[in-house]
Amino acid sequence: MRNMLLVAKREYLEQVRGRAFRLTTIGVPLLFAALLGVGYLSSLGLGKHRHLAVAAADPALAAQIRARLVGDKEAKTRVDVVAPAQAADRATLAQKVAAGQLDGFLWVESKPGQMPSATYSSPSAGDFITSSRIRSALTHATIDLHLTSGGMTQKDADTLVDGVPVKTFQVKKDGREVKSNAEASFWKGYVMAILLSMTTMIYGMNVARSIIQEKTSRIFEVMLAIARPSDLLAGKLIGVGAVGLTQIAIWLVAASALLASPLAGAMMTGDFTIQVSWTETVLFPVYFVLGYLLYSALFAGLAATCETEQELQMYTPLAAVPVWLSFALIALIMNDSNSFWSVAASLFPPTAPIIMFLRMAAEMPPMWQFAASIGLLMASIWGVLWISTRLYRVGILMYGKRATLPELLRWLKYS
Amino acid sequence: MPVVELAGVTKAYEAKIAVRDLSLTIESGQMFGLLGPNGAGKTSSIRMMMGITLPDSGTVRLFDKPFERRSLERVGYLPEERGLYKKMKVGEQLIFFGELHGLSAHDARQRAAQWTRRLEIDDVLEKKTEELSKGMQQKIQFIGSLLHDPGLIVMDEPFSGLDPVNAQLLEKTLLDLKDEGRAIVFSTHRMDQVEKLCDSICLINQGEAVLSGRVREIKSHYERNHIQVEFEGSSAFLESPEIEEARNFSGHAEIKLKPHGNAQKLLAEAAAHATIYRFELMEPSLEEIFIRTVGGKVDA
Repeated sequence: MRNMLLVAKREYLEQVRGRAFRLTTIGVPLLFAALLGVGYLSSLGLGKHRHLAVAAADPALAAQIRARLVGDKEAKTRVDVVAPAQAADRATLAQKVAAGQLDGFLWVESKPGQMPSATYSSPSAGDFITSSRIRSALTHATIDLHLTSGGMTQKDADTLVDGVPVKTFQVKKDGREVKSNAEASFWKGYVMAILLSMTTMIYGMNVARSIIQEKTSRIFEVMLAIARPSDLLAGKLIGVGAVGLTQIAIWLVAASALLASPLAGAMMTGDFTIQVSWTETVLFPVYFVLGYLLYSALFAGLAATCETEQELQMYTPLAAVPVWLSFALIALIMNDSNSFWSVAASLFPPTAPIIMFLRMAAEMPPMWQFAASIGLLMASIWGVLWISTRLYRVGILMYGKRATLPELLRWLKYS
Repeated sequence: MPVVELAGVTKAYEAKIAVRDLSLTIESGQMFGLLGPNGAGKTSSIRMMMGITLPDSGTVRLFDKPFERRSLERVGYLPEERGLYKKMKVGEQLIFFGELHGLSAHDARQRAAQWTRRLEIDDVLEKKTEELSKGMQQKIQFIGSLLHDPGLIVMDEPFSGLDPVNAQLLEKTLLDLKDEGRAIVFSTHRMDQVEKLCDSICLINQGEAVLSGRVREIKSHYERNHIQVEFEGSSAFLESPEIEEARNFSGHAEIKLKPHGNAQKLLAEAAAHATIYRFELMEPSLEEIFIRTVGGKVDA
C-alpha cells in the first residue's frame, strides 16, 4: 500500500510538473475564452456592414424585403430600394457594384398571380451567408404579402412566418411541470459527455505512454525488485487519474469564472441558461473515475505488450470504438432516452459513462439504473485489471519482440 | 548464516529450459561470482533470487527463510536491464528509491548525500538524470541499490559500460561492502574481476551449474602447468618436447606444459641455453578454466 502510494505520488508530481500539463491546463481555458471573445466581438458586428439594393417591379414586395433585411440585427445591413424597377436600372446597379458603391443587389421579377423569381448579384462568388439571408428575406416577404392580401393582419402574418413559439416543460415524477429548455439540456449533456470521453481517453493514453516510456528506459526491473507489479500498476493508475481530476477541477473553476464574466453574460441571451443538478455534480467525478479506470486498465495491458508508442497507436482506434459508438447513439438517446437500446447502452460498461450523461440531459434515469451501470462498470474494471495485470507483469520484462496472440494468451497463465 | 540458498531450482520458458536443477549457497561476508557465456541462465537465476520470476521447481531461501517479498527490503539489486526516470532530478530519484525500500524521506536524503560524496559525484543531486553521462547514471543506479543498507547485494553485469577508473572505484566499494559483512553476488564475463574479487563462483552453461565452489579450491584441482620464465640468452629451450604452447616476448616467455609435462626437465634445458632470472610454475587462470570447462559447449 505504501509503495503504491509512493508510485502514485511520483507519477502525479512528474506529470503535474511537466510542460504538457501546464500547456493543456492553461491553454484549453484560454482557447475557450478566446473563442467566446471572438464570438462576442463578431456579435458586435466587427465584420463589414453590407450595403445592398433591392430592385423590384412591385414596390410593396421591395419594401417588405427591405424591412426583413434591415430587421435582421445581426446582419447590420443598409438597404436601398429601387421600385418600381425598370430594365435599365439593372445595368446601373451592376455598375455601382463594380464601382464598390454597393456590395450587391437583388433583382426581383414578379407577375400578378405568380411566384416571384429573383437573382442576387455581387462581386463575391462565395458569400453564401448574405445570399442565404436574402433568400430568407424574399421568402418571408412573399408569404407575408400573400397572407396580408388575404385579409390577415400584418402582426399575425409576421407571427406565422416567424414561427409560433412553443415553450417546453418537463413533467417530473410527481406530476409537476417544470420549465425546461430542450436545446440547453442537449448541449449540457453533450458537453459533459465530450469532457468525459476526452479526459478518460487522454488520461488512459497517458497511462499507456508512461508504461512504454518506462519500458524503453528499462526502469521496470529495478522497480520490480522493490514493488509488486500490481502496486506499480495501481500506483500509476491512481497517480495519472489524480492528474486528470486536478486538470478537470482547474478547467471547471476556470469555466465557472468565465461563464460568470460579463463577456459570457453578453453572449448568453434569452432562455439559454445551463443548470447543473447535484446529481450530475456528484455523478460526473464518479463516472470519470470509473470510465478512466476501465480505459486506462485496458490501455495499460495493451502498452505492456508493445515496444514503442507507434506500435501502441495501432491499437488506439480499436480502444476508441466504444466512444465513437456512444456519440453515434446521440440521436437515439435524445429521441427516446428510455428505449430499450438507450437503457442497454447506458448499462453496457464501455459506453455507460457517456450514454448515462446524455440520458441524464434528456430525462433523469431511475436510481436502479445508475446502481446497475456503476456495478457493471466496477465488475468490468475488475475483469480488465485482472487481465491487464497479468499482461503487465510479464510484458514489462519482454524486450525486442512484439508478442503474438498465442503468446499473450500464455502470459495470462503465468504465475 | 546462508544469505541466499537455491536448491534444485529449474525455470523453463516455453520449450527452452533457462535454468536446470541449480543449487548454490552464498554466505554473509562473501563475494560470489555467477559466471557463464551469454544465454547461460545467469539473469534467469538472479531474477528468481529476486522474486521477479518464480521457479517451476526447487526452492529459493533468502536470509535463512523461504522467499518472501519482505526479505527484499534487505536486498540491493542492480539488474542488467537498468534504467532511471529521465525527467526526475537525481536527488528526488534517490529519495524515491530509498522511500520504496522503507526509509523516511529525511534518511533517504541524508544517505543519498553520503553516497554521492563517497562516489565523488556530490554535485549531481540537483541535476536531471537525462543531463548525466551513461557512466554517471550507472553510479546513480548503483547508489539507488545500496541506499537502504542491504545485507545482500545482487548485481547483474555491474561493470559493463564503466570506464577503467569508475570500474576500479566500484570494485573498491564492493570490497569495502564485503568487509562490512554483506553478501555480494554479481554476474560478469570479466574473469580478471572475478579472480580479483570473488571468494566463490558458480559457472553456469546451458542452464546448468558446471563448476562451483571456492575459487582457491577450484584452481587447486587443476594441474600447475603454466610457467613464466625471465631469461637472457638463446630461446632454443622453447622448442622442448615438454611444451604444448609457448609465447616469447624477448626475455620473457609464457609457457603451457603438455599434460604431465616435466617442469624440472624444462628448467634444466633452459639453464643449459640461457641465464634464468625467474622460473615460476603457476596454476591456470580462471579464464582458462572457464574456456576449458565451457569450450565447445557454448550456445551460438
